[in-house]
Amino acid sequence: MTRDEADKEISAAIREHADYHSAPASLADDLMAALPVDEETTQRPRWQRWLAQGAVMAGVALVTWAATMGYLRPGEDERRADEVLAGHVRATLGKRLYDVASSDQHAVKPWLSARLPYSPPVADLSAQGFELLGARLDHVGGQAVAVLVYKRRQHVIDAYVWPARGSTAELALKRDGFNLARFAASDMAFWLVSDLNRNELDDLARLLARQADAL
Amino acid sequence: MDAAYNLARWLTRNDQDARDVVQEASLRAYRFLDGLRGDAKPWFLTLVRNACMTWLKANRPAELSGMDPAAPELQQVEEETPETLALRALDRRMLNEALAALPAQFREVLILREMEDLPYQDIARITAVPIGTVMSRLSRSRRLLADSLRAITRASEVRQ
Repeated sequence: MTRDEADKEISAAIREHADYHSAPASLADDLMAALPVDEETTQRPRWQRWLAQGAVMAGVALVTWAATMGYLRPGEDERRADEVLAGHVRATLGKRLYDVASSDQHAVKPWLSARLPYSPPVADLSAQGFELLGARLDHVGGQAVAVLVYKRRQHVIDAYVWPARGSTAELALKRDGFNLARFAASDMAFWLVSDLNRNELDDLARLLARQADAL
Repeated sequence: MDAAYNLARWLTRNDQDARDVVQEASLRAYRFLDGLRGDAKPWFLTLVRNACMTWLKANRPAELSGMDPAAPELQQVEEETPETLALRALDRRMLNEALAALPAQFREVLILREMEDLPYQDIARITAVPIGTVMSRLSRSRRLLADSLRAITRASEVRQ
């Protein structure tokens, strides 16, 4: 019997025969009781407290589910980030930053909706220091998507927008010196990519989210 | 939650203390939820593991001797071809005993790897040691466990 086989045998023995201590059901109750609650909640009637407990349980289940999903397909967000970054770099390397050059959101939006199966929210944010240069089409995740092109000082910022599907939790990444941010607003997923600093990129993210929600 | 409790139960070897430790870790998790980036499971297990270590330090300081990360790993035993483990004859109780008797730093990697099936990278993060150390500890702990199982089996044969 070799070392490897002995290791496999031990490993199997633990997996199959050693005790696995599942958390006792009462532990969850204790946890609930230990979590900080304010005066008001402790005096609520019983059914309301149950409702609150149910909500917390659902929250825990959701976190577990999200963690599991993230575990099962870790590559999805990574791939998307790579595609978005590649698109941005290609556009800035060449001379083709945008297909339609206009700072008028009422010109850009119809141009996009005429070419895509959806109509992305378009906002001119020059008053806030983000000048709308125009828009172009790109190809991400196997579909044509809208890219809004903004400018802040000498930095070009691409905002990729498509109807939200799958994971849209907020993300902040740094790749090869570029900052990326993902967020969702009014059923659209946004990816921002730029060599702009993180703070200003996050400012733009907030502005776009607010505008999209207001539309 | 089960993973957290299982780890705590194996490290503290006691139901009540495992409960306390998991509660403690959950409260911290609740307070520092903002700090969560990426995968929740290893992050939470790190908190549980650290709470266990704090508990062990306070209540079972002897167990942690030799857990200093700077201290060299236990001496490698003489390489010998191990005899076949009579695992069929091995009962649950013996295995549990042998596992519980392992030094804490070996016990924790075994629990995380064999029971939770975590990748080496996550185990390294949770136990705060380099990935190479995780691998060497794993193989070392499997051998230690095999050795002590053989000893237990032999002892029980003598008794019978």
